[in-house]
Amino acid sequence: MMNNLLRVQPPVFPVEKVVIPEAKSLKLNNGVPAYLIEAGTEDIMRLEFIFKAGQVKEYLPLLSSTCNMMLSEGSQNYSSEELNRLLDYYGIFLNQSAEKDSAGIVLFFLNKHIEKVLELSREILFRPVFPEPELNSLMKKRLRWYLVNREKVQNLAMDQFFESLFGKNHPYGYQITEQDFENISPSRLKDFHSKYYNPEKMAVIISGKIHSRTTELLDLYFGNAGSGEIKKEDPVNFLRGGKLKKVHINKSGTVQNAIRIGSVTINKRHTDYPGLKVVDTILGGYFGSRLMKNIREEKGYTYGVSSSLTSLDLSGYKVISTEVGQKNNQKAIEEIYKEIRLLQNVPVEKEEMAVIRNYMSGEMVRMFDGPFALAESFRSAWEFGLDNGYYYRLAEKIKTIEPDEIIELARTYYDVDDLYEITVGAE
Amino acid sequence: MINYKRFLLENGLRVLVHEDKSTPLIAMNILYDVGSRDENPSMTGFAHLFEHLMFGGSVNAPDFDTPLQLVGGENNAFTNNDITNYYLTIPSENIETGFWLESDRMLELDFSQKNLDNQKNVVIEEFNQRYLNQPYGDAILKLRPLAYKVHPYRWPTIGMDMAHIKNTDLEQVKRFFFSHYAPNNAILALTGNIEYDLAFKLSQKWFGTIEKRVIPVRNLPSEPEQTQERTLSIERDVPSTALYKVWHIGPRKSKDFYTLDLITDLLAGGESGRLHTKLVREKKLFSEINAYLTADIDPGLIIVQGKLMKGVDIQLAEKSVNEVINGLLSRNDIKDEMEKVKNKFESSTVFSNTSILNKAANLSFFELLGDPGLINNEVHSYRNVSHESVIDAIKRYFIPSNCCTIKYISTRKEK
Repeated sequence: MMNNLLRVQPPVFPVEKVVIPEAKSLKLNNGVPAYLIEAGTEDIMRLEFIFKAGQVKEYLPLLSSTCNMMLSEGSQNYSSEELNRLLDYYGIFLNQSAEKDSAGIVLFFLNKHIEKVLELSREILFRPVFPEPELNSLMKKRLRWYLVNREKVQNLAMDQFFESLFGKNHPYGYQITEQDFENISPSRLKDFHSKYYNPEKMAVIISGKIHSRTTELLDLYFGNAGSGEIKKEDPVNFLRGGKLKKVHINKSGTVQNAIRIGSVTINKRHTDYPGLKVVDTILGGYFGSRLMKNIREEKGYTYGVSSSLTSLDLSGYKVISTEVGQKNNQKAIEEIYKEIRLLQNVPVEKEEMAVIRNYMSGEMVRMFDGPFALAESFRSAWEFGLDNGYYYRLAEKIKTIEPDEIIELARTYYDVDDLYEITVGAE
Repeated sequence: MINYKRFLLENGLRVLVHEDKSTPLIAMNILYDVGSRDENPSMTGFAHLFEHLMFGGSVNAPDFDTPLQLVGGENNAFTNNDITNYYLTIPSENIETGFWLESDRMLELDFSQKNLDNQKNVVIEEFNQRYLNQPYGDAILKLRPLAYKVHPYRWPTIGMDMAHIKNTDLEQVKRFFFSHYAPNNAILALTGNIEYDLAFKLSQKWFGTIEKRVIPVRNLPSEPEQTQERTLSIERDVPSTALYKVWHIGPRKSKDFYTLDLITDLLAGGESGRLHTKLVREKKLFSEINAYLTADIDPGLIIVQGKLMKGVDIQLAEKSVNEVINGLLSRNDIKDEMEKVKNKFESSTVFSNTSILNKAANLSFFELLGDPGLINNEVHSYRNVSHESVIDAIKRYFIPSNCCTIKYISTRKEK
């Protein structure tokens, strides 16, 4: 029998409907919301503290990211060296991040160290002292990193893309300059910290094989914290895109151009978003996407091309990204527009629909596989005031969207006249 | 503890299975025992180019990616000096499609001129993107031929010259396939939501009928011992001067491996590593600095690389790196630091092994080294390293005659 094996694709089973474990929602004694997601087989946990302390809140460039980085540079009870040594000693992984909207820290650790983790987290989040020598040293280092990053065409292109979309005056859009590294002082950091790293405005997401004393310990370390005062949030600037749709930045000595094409678009809160996610995936959201097939696999212009959708609190954007050999720059751009027009005018064939439905269903299984993926997926809906209902709507849309709707969405949201086109490279 | 079962098919394919019912997915990893060290010096970059061709369709499956995406799967691959490794994850109900696809491309590729021509272009763009269009991107290209004079580790996996990639033809592709891609030169690992019996049955069904092939015996020239310090200076228009220092070490299986790994962690593991603490934080000589092992199967390298702060003299930077390394000879503070890096190693191993993909890749690689059980022993081996063995290793490896240095000098004038 074995020698007569028919080497054809085995039966294809529809990917099972995704089941998402619900997070257990609770409040600490002071009202801080905490979300617990039980998952995994090892005695490990992921603990995330989130604040609305991203770039959107800053009145000076670099304020949000510097404040976040300085959290671990010394606290009331520990110097920066001591903090770092203790984190490493207990095998704790600490990630600090400041994004466009939110900022915070994530810790990964073995359950047996939970109490140490909470004690150190409290130091980092609520007792930082922003020492001046550490700040000066950090800003000098960051300037070096910045100068190296500005050598890379992809960074230059992305920075310009955000400026074109959101404007020179908004934190979503402005570009960092060398001068900005001299404007950050301890007092400005303390001011920013007191406004935005406020226990009352924090949320906690915990996942893993959750330690039995977690809630009790959270209350012990964070349940009494409060500033006694809810500060009014800063008003937000206007978002206003640049007039020029096409921008080229000359970067001599390069062999590839970075290309970014995209525009402002709806975010997760919009009912069209799940459908748009499907459209984006067909266009450039996976290895088998139309852009990859055309520009890489057919023409060999690039090592990679992709498109993505990102939701922001006040906006959202879509972007197509690639790096191509300079002689193919124009041809690659033409092919990108060609693929967009095809999506707007020609119905997606049955075979491609089947691939996209099943591939995306598989992706949804991966998005909820294990404690870390679960926490990230939870967070990225929660941040927009959404719950698992959002994912169930997405799953449903993946299964039911029809070619007509794809055409309509592509026409509505990929209006070629709206798109910004940024290129960086040698002329 | 990661439980696994191992079996050997008659055609020589080694199969490892680890059941983890907490996930709805299965990871499938196939390691081929071929890397850039197996290349002809006039055809470098070939193993990696070949990895790209493995996605261009096989005799009974015209395309690799589409049928996999049709069952909700996702895949990728990498090539290094020693191995070529392919991996995918797939919802468990559709695992048989994974078996069909992977076994078919082991059976025979669909050798197409069009695919070859196109993937040559893709690889050249990859080379441009990773090495030429990045500041400091060519440092590693210069470092290999400085450290290795004879052994094939002297060229990078992407290839030492893109002309080699341009010149390949379909005949060479076919010859490479039949002399390296074979059940008796591969290791299959399955982890996740799959039972041992099913894994065995499906492996037998899809891979069992592929015939053994004749694999040429690997006979690589060994690198003669370096007897004199080697230094290369390069000038480039980059924002900061960078320093790269490497020392030769033994093979992956040598008894010093975990000692050396621990040394790199003392030096550069986490924010509290010595190089970072002393040279970035205290002396402010570097904006960033790192140390790691190449972990190659044949004798490899320890690499220390860092970027200097503005105005710092490179002689001073270099001298300070050596001082930090020699500082590990002293007993001061070392006991706690040894305990610290051991805890961190243990913790990162636990985290790494929560991923079914990591478990599949690790089982395959350790099987290649001769013992998949290493997956459960690494923490123990690392914990057993003593300060005496650290001292001994530093005295034997970190000596000038065993060292190569690249001074990557910035020519940029800053305002």
